[in-house]
Amino acid sequence: MIRDELARLIQDGYNALGELEFAESSHGYFLYHSADRNLLSETRVYHSIEDARMIAKYDSSGAYRPLKGAPNLPRGWRIELTNVDELKRALDSFYPGAIGSWLAYQNGKAHPVCLRQTLNRQTGMYRVTRKLTDEQAQNLVQEACRSDSRCLRTILWGIEDSRPPDFLPSSKFDPTVDQTGQQRAALPFLCLEACNLLVAAARNTMKKSSR
Amino acid sequence: MPNKRKSSLVLVGHGSTLNPDSSAPTFQHADEIVRRGLFAEVYCSFWKEEPSLREVLQMVEGDDVYVVPNFISEGYFTEIVIPRELELVGPITHRSGKIIKYCEPVGNDPRMVDLLLHRAREAAPKVPLEKTSLLIVGHGTSLNEKSAEAAQSQARAIREKGIYAEVFEAYMEEAPFVADWRKNTSQPNVVVVPFFIADGLHSYQDIPVLLGIESAPTVAASQQEVFRRNPYRLDGRALYYASAIGTEPLMADVILDTIDRFDRKHLYDSAA
Repeated sequence: MIRDELARLIQDGYNALGELEFAESSHGYFLYHSADRNLLSETRVYHSIEDARMIAKYDSSGAYRPLKGAPNLPRGWRIELTNVDELKRALDSFYPGAIGSWLAYQNGKAHPVCLRQTLNRQTGMYRVTRKLTDEQAQNLVQEACRSDSRCLRTILWGIEDSRPPDFLPSSKFDPTVDQTGQQRAALPFLCLEACNLLVAAARNTMKKSSR
Repeated sequence: MPNKRKSSLVLVGHGSTLNPDSSAPTFQHADEIVRRGLFAEVYCSFWKEEPSLREVLQMVEGDDVYVVPNFISEGYFTEIVIPRELELVGPITHRSGKIIKYCEPVGNDPRMVDLLLHRAREAAPKVPLEKTSLLIVGHGTSLNEKSAEAAQSQARAIREKGIYAEVFEAYMEEAPFVADWRKNTSQPNVVVVPFFIADGLHSYQDIPVLLGIESAPTVAASQQEVFRRNPYRLDGRALYYASAIGTEPLMADVILDTIDRFDRKHLYDSAA
């Protein structure tokens, strides 16, 4: 079970994922924004998975966060959870599928899918993205996926099959690197395939280049 | 419904990168099904949000998986996008030790008629039904004729019950148009129910403008406000405007019915 794996990883010392940190407490577990690490007594306390989902939905200015990996989680909260199953579900509310994807990747059950393969299966309004050139793709990914401002996931796919994304800084495709730059014992937060936001951005690139 | 405590459920929604309310009904119904403790695990997945359709099966731990599209009708997403992204080969897919059961979209369920009637009554609890027109509003588009058919078949089923003086379908982008409600309905009371999965730009702004209850598509301080001002007095008639049918709490039961219908169609029949 994924929750048992998570419990084992916490025992092994892992205590972070993306902008989050978590720890065991006398009542179970608690979860908070890493920037609030030394201000936990000042944070507002929540208890439910629904709270986690709502916190993850908006940034500190109240703007909608469609990309969950974006490094703009609001601060000032702490979620107290009674068991590891709730912790897993809360982590899934902030970073959907992150733990499942990593475990599947580790166990050889999930593999990176190159961008070309993702774009080539698009239909409808996204079909045009099949024409994205390698250069356009590299420029797009370098900008749209950068860890300092756009997305904290570690990219494991390249543009073409069997080629790593070596057009990115090496830290961006190394699962052992904490993308927040804090060098914590962070669970890898993998990107095994380009998301729909990147496909939509590829469509915008094509529309602009056709003008 | 039969015991599903060893099964997993994945609800698939469209989601949005712009509208934070788009995924809300899918989560709402998933939460309700979790509360009832009917499945071993319940996940939501979206085309435009996370977890994506490519990721969600890595979250699912069970081997018996029901996938229910939280979509109002058959069409491009249920026929092309969802099967492609989940790598489904038909209603039943065997892969990596899992059996994935792909159900019909929730909007196909016969119980939708009851939900529409319930929602219409909620919006206008005191109107005399024999002096009331009911308008079921669908999107309608030349890209997907099944979108219009869905609203049409609901309107027909409600009409046959003979509860309202008249029942019509209307569309945003094809005839009969929502904007023509004045000439297409004849009763002093008109109840309008959007046949959509979620509230969003269409139900908050586009349809109110087409109905003439909002003058311009502006973002209200509270977008839900448009549903709270009933009735709207227009040309001597009273118009009652409901929120999208997909936000109705009874949709959780529609999802369970959809699974039950899948079993009856694909499992029990083939076992008999």
